[in-house]
Amino acid sequence: MHKYFFAFVLAVLFCLNSCDTGIEPGEPIVPGGFSGTVTFSGTWPEGIKRTHLVVFKNPIQTTEDFFLPNLSFVVDSIPYKSSFYKFDSLEMSFVSILQLWPGEYKYVVVAQSKTPEISFQRKDWTVVGVYCINNDQSKPASLVIRSDQVTPNVNINVDFNNPPPQPPM
Amino acid sequence: MKKISLLILIIPFLSSYGQTASIKGKVISDKAQPVIGANLILSGTNFGDASDIKGNFEIRNIPFGVYNLEASCIGYGKRIIKNITVNQSTKSFTIVLKETAFETEQVIISASKYEQKLQDITASTAIIQPDYINRRNFISFDDMLRYIPGVQMNLEQVSIRGSSGYSKGVGARVLVAINGIPLYAGDNGDVVWELIPLSDIERVEVIKGPASSLYGSSAIGGVINIITKSKVQSPVTYFKNYIGVYDKPVHEQWDWDNKYRTFYGVELTHSGTTENLGYTFSFKKFDNMSYRQNDYYKRYLGHVKLSYSLTPDNYLLFFSNYLYSNRGNFLYWKDSRNALVPKDDENGNYVLSNRIFSGLIYHHKFSEKLSGEVKTSYYRTNFDGYGLEVTSSTANLFRGELLTNYIASDKVILTTGLEAAYSDVASNIFQNPEFFGAGAYFQAEYKGIDKLIASFGLRYDYIKIDTLIGKNALTPRIGFNYKLHDDIVLRGSIGTGFRAPTPAEVFTSTAVGGGVGVKENPNLTSETSLSFELGAQYKYSSRINFDMAFFQTEYNNFIEPNLTKEGDIQFINLTKARIQGIETILEWSIIPEELKVTVGYNYLWARDIEKNKSMKYRPRNSVYAQIKYSPGQFDFGVDFRHWSRIEEIDNALVEPPLALVVDGDKRVPVYVTDITAGYNFLIWNIPAKIYLNAKNIFNYNYVEFIGNIAPIRNVSLSTEIYF
Repeated sequence: MHKYFFAFVLAVLFCLNSCDTGIEPGEPIVPGGFSGTVTFSGTWPEGIKRTHLVVFKNPIQTTEDFFLPNLSFVVDSIPYKSSFYKFDSLEMSFVSILQLWPGEYKYVVVAQSKTPEISFQRKDWTVVGVYCINNDQSKPASLVIRSDQVTPNVNINVDFNNPPPQPPM
Repeated sequence: MKKISLLILIIPFLSSYGQTASIKGKVISDKAQPVIGANLILSGTNFGDASDIKGNFEIRNIPFGVYNLEASCIGYGKRIIKNITVNQSTKSFTIVLKETAFETEQVIISASKYEQKLQDITASTAIIQPDYINRRNFISFDDMLRYIPGVQMNLEQVSIRGSSGYSKGVGARVLVAINGIPLYAGDNGDVVWELIPLSDIERVEVIKGPASSLYGSSAIGGVINIITKSKVQSPVTYFKNYIGVYDKPVHEQWDWDNKYRTFYGVELTHSGTTENLGYTFSFKKFDNMSYRQNDYYKRYLGHVKLSYSLTPDNYLLFFSNYLYSNRGNFLYWKDSRNALVPKDDENGNYVLSNRIFSGLIYHHKFSEKLSGEVKTSYYRTNFDGYGLEVTSSTANLFRGELLTNYIASDKVILTTGLEAAYSDVASNIFQNPEFFGAGAYFQAEYKGIDKLIASFGLRYDYIKIDTLIGKNALTPRIGFNYKLHDDIVLRGSIGTGFRAPTPAEVFTSTAVGGGVGVKENPNLTSETSLSFELGAQYKYSSRINFDMAFFQTEYNNFIEPNLTKEGDIQFINLTKARIQGIETILEWSIIPEELKVTVGYNYLWARDIEKNKSMKYRPRNSVYAQIKYSPGQFDFGVDFRHWSRIEEIDNALVEPPLALVVDGDKRVPVYVTDITAGYNFLIWNIPAKIYLNAKNIFNYNYVEFIGNIAPIRNVSLSTEIYF
């Protein structure tokens, strides 16, 4: 009797467990990148300490969204008073721990700061150019990153005389 | 001639009729200790005896014949030795009785800082007997905790009823104590489970729910009190060894070594006694190659315990444990295709550590009504972690406690105490903070109303961490236990709790790999809680016991690790968190002392109120089931546990942009089944046991924490002898 009871319990457990083996190896996902040119027009503001091309996962809704984890990638600093800047994100990562994983990134901008040290205060940053649709900086375009591929022609025009709408400060 | 023939025929009968003999022997436990007061009866007769103080017995004047001998004693399984032939050549016997779990009414626990019956307590409590630890060949104490309903382990971090998530052991919310002396490190407040000497455990008491009103800061989620064995009656040496092997991983691409990975351990313990002195010396070595790369460990544990009786009622108890460990430092898998391999830049990292934990307890009985204890302890922890950089920490923690129990009347028991602790830390990751804490507590138990036991407790604490402003906390608690019916006991409690941040949570400043660091937070403040529990125990019959509890805890300023906007991890205070749940346990002795089934179910609803989402690493549903079948000298068992899929994890570590743990979001419901088979036998009159354990028999792959596959199927063989 007891042997049957034991066998029954083991059979039930076997059925519960035999359906799957739990965690399985997934398909490899490799970070991707993007490349393009940032073109500057107008007069550079005085006192700029750093200018970066920055990728955000989602549009900026609050001041906190300007930083991690919504902040997804930062391209190396663009030299002061450049007239254009060609970039390739795979070779120009400013923050080594950030990688562009496959997916859609909804807000890609050029931002500037005047603080001597890198600031994590939203008010210290000004958005001067937006990756956008039909050159309308009020309509940000999405950047799509694919695994192990570089998305080309991500071009941004920065017109210091015609700044884009600022996200929440 | 007829007369002569008749005489020849009846002479044998005449010679045996009226001839008697004795059965002698000794009754010992399965740990080679004499069993006092065991009843020995020849079945179907009035012949019997009871074992004396040395376990010896002698049944005299037994007519020649064939008999069955029954041996039984409270706390031990009954044993029948069949077909004993009693004649002139009858030999003496050594009878080994297996210890069994006590019935609920018989269990005395001391987690409330005074001795009381388990059925009289006002909080949900679980008791674990040592035979369960040996039978299952648990190598470390935390392995055992995974099988207690309401207790959850996330890697090495314990959580009772969802009190903790995972923070690498830092800032435990469950107070673990040995003989009532807390065992938490002076720097990060973690519990090193391997430091607990498993072979010297008398019982483990698990209080599910806040106990800050008695134990202070670290007990906000519950208490695990480990009671070590009392003095042995006669000298005994215990030897145990085990050897085990991990199976190959289910997925071929996970097979990083192409070899079977092994683990083994050996332990030698000697306990003895003189007129006033009891002593135990123990040494243990355990070695594990692990199923994962760079996850090995080699450990040595030494344990000494001395118990000196000054008078029959007054004694000194000293114990000291020393642990040396050399282990690989596996943090996260490389990815799900390399789930048993660490990230490349972490491969080869290792940690050397040594710890010594010593306690001295003086118990004095002033009168039948008044007794007191002085408890002091010293805990030194040191580790050096080797990787790209060396991390190190050394902490010295000193504690002292004065405890008194006063039986004011038949109806009132008062417990009071004073406690103080000081620690200093020298570390390149926790900085060099000092910690000071002091507390005073009071508890009254009142039995003045028929069938009702009421308790009230209040504790005041003062905590000062280095240069931070000192914090005060007042934690009251009231509870009741009401015997509604002979078979139904209701219990309930409401109380507050608090937990001061540990120096590690405040001051840690280090890299954790992948470019991510931990950042200090001097603004971290204590978390507080308000808890409520209502439970009932229903004894349906002598064989079926049912327990159910509803619980709720509201936390304020709950401390959790969080990702900062700078990309660092920092401990912060959540505004509010709420944990609610139901716990049910059914125990059914289908055949007393032979076949027992235990089933437990927990529903946990843990919410971050501020963000309105689940709290991290808390499964909503969990099921535990145990079947123990012990026919005669055999032991068989099946253990099963299930957790529903964890809803919330450290997403910031898993998801882009950091993606520190690649594929870290892979998690599944947990289904783990273990089986045990054992045999108790005598070898040269020495009690011995042999156990075969197969754990995770279906080789199911799951994680308790992101990027950490739990142990795959493994089989071990352990042997124990007492001589």
